[in-house]
Amino acid sequence: MDNILEVRNLTKRFHGLLAIDRVTFALERNQILGLIGPNGAGKTTLVSLVSGTLQPTEGSVLFEGKPIHRLAGFRRALLGIARTFQVMRPFPGLTVLDNVAVGALFGAAGSTRQLAAAREDANRWLHFVGLDHRVRQRADALGGPDRKRLELAKALAMRPKLLLLDEVMAGLNPVEIEEVITVIKKVRDQGISIVVIEHVMKAIQSLSDRLLVLHHGEKIAEGKPQEVLRNDQVIAAYLGSKRR
Amino acid sequence: MKPALKFIFAALVVGGFATVPSWGSAVLVQFGINALILATLAQSWNIIGGYTGYPSFGNSVFYGLGGYGVAIALVQYQLPSAVGLILGVVLAVLFAFLLGLPVLRLRGHYFAIATLGLTEVMTAIVSNLDIAGRNVGLILPLAKGDTLFLELSLALLVVTTLAVAWISRSRFGFGLIAIRENEVAAAVMGVNTTLYKILAFALCAVFSALAGGIHAYWITYLDPGSAFDVSLNVRMIIMAVFGGPGTIFGPALGAFALAAISEILASKITSLASIFFGVVIVVAIIFMPRGVADLAQNFRRFGWRYFQENIKAHRV
Ligand SMILES: Nc1ncnc2c1ncn2[C@@H]1O[C@H](COP(=O)(O)OP(=O)(O)O)[C@@H](O)[C@H]1O
Ligand SMILES: [Mg+2]
Repeated sequence: MDNILEVRNLTKRFHGLLAIDRVTFALERNQILGLIGPNGAGKTTLVSLVSGTLQPTEGSVLFEGKPIHRLAGFRRALLGIARTFQVMRPFPGLTVLDNVAVGALFGAAGSTRQLAAAREDANRWLHFVGLDHRVRQRADALGGPDRKRLELAKALAMRPKLLLLDEVMAGLNPVEIEEVITVIKKVRDQGISIVVIEHVMKAIQSLSDRLLVLHHGEKIAEGKPQEVLRNDQVIAAYLGSKRR
Repeated sequence: MKPALKFIFAALVVGGFATVPSWGSAVLVQFGINALILATLAQSWNIIGGYTGYPSFGNSVFYGLGGYGVAIALVQYQLPSAVGLILGVVLAVLFAFLLGLPVLRLRGHYFAIATLGLTEVMTAIVSNLDIAGRNVGLILPLAKGDTLFLELSLALLVVTTLAVAWISRSRFGFGLIAIRENEVAAAVMGVNTTLYKILAFALCAVFSALAGGIHAYWITYLDPGSAFDVSLNVRMIIMAVFGGPGTIFGPALGAFALAAISEILASKITSLASIFFGVVIVVAIIFMPRGVADLAQNFRRFGWRYFQENIKAHRV
């Protein structure tokens, strides 16, 4: 079995709060892992620990078999890890094109170092996510759904091996959600392994090879989507709290 | 304006400056040297403040160290002035690396205040160094005529502006801009933010130190108060912001415009000059907060509405 990502006993404490509590899981290469759980469960924190935006209190993260949890965020990007931000972080004063060009200029090793080539690359990714009509606009002129697409294009331009998507479908309408699902499937078909955080159940079921459920920072279930979603504990913790 | 046109225009301005000694008065040449040095300082500040988004108040330290490099080399060791310029650059770059590391971890106001502190600390240290003439300062040997200094400072501004032009279209510069726009996102995308910030700081140390060295050599006198003058740093910022921070020509343009305005005001209405200067800046910030460069680019499109839009967009 070829695991691109292994997380072992990962723990993150914010002062008193245990945001991630001894979480262990693995992601096989070229698979999609769905990460679900109620608000405040620790999903974003887990992504930040893997991408290097946060440093863990305890535990380890292995990428392609090598420990990375002590590496700075930019080094993990160079190794091939890319993420999107739930609270979007575009470069507001840059054009949409140049936002994505930054991903092509930096990102995983082997990316282009020339600005002209990076912009060409950026154009291709913007076409891929369906943003080609906005390339010349400033990023802060985009509306919510387009900002989500921009986050995705920026991450893809980095040519990652592992892509962490933090609620890229939140706030999109059903048609837009279908489009993003298609894009994510195409990305996986290019050989990229993916972790998706999503609240839209239909989307997560159609995308994920496996599901992992977090609740109060703990992993409460993991497995095939149909099985996990039938789990009583999951229904109580997640689906129950959503319906109320 | 098209980029190519801008460069042609810039080349004409440079040519114009170079001919000033052949037809201008001594006063005009001296004004030219001062304006060129201020433009170089505004342009260097542009690298850390305009492109990287770190509002440095420590650039006058680089300027001062550049001056002391030349002064100490000439006065204490009778070395050639070129060696002094290099010494000043080395000191400033060392300073940028040593103090950049802790200070560049701070953001926004905290960074500004910390760098302001650096200026005070440097003044205190140098005031107690025998080799730097303590608080009395150093008197440098008299140098050749003003023409040489005009050429030197003109060449320095050209080199600094070329460096900024390179930054604006290089991978390095895109890293700096990404840091300015959102540092967390920049790091996640693979920008070595710590290294890039320090390199930007060091780069502006090089150009500011050269400006300080040339100025000290020209003025032939240096003391801690004038070398590490915070108000000079404030002027760099005002000029860069007035002209358009994060643009290739804005800061130099801003420096020339404001140097000319303050010169004219000073000669016409001496006592009120600084008040008028303040009014000019306040009005400029209200009507064109993104600087002259942005005005030049967008005024044709929007006309007088440009000012209206700015007031609307930037009021609280
Ligand atoms: N930087 C932080 N400092 C302190 N507490 C935080 C921080 N980030 C997240 N938290 C807390 O950690 C918990 C998990 O948050 P988060 O990972 O954002 O959850 P989710 O993404 O599943 O909604 C929440 O209780 C949240 O308030
Ligand atoms: Mg979240």
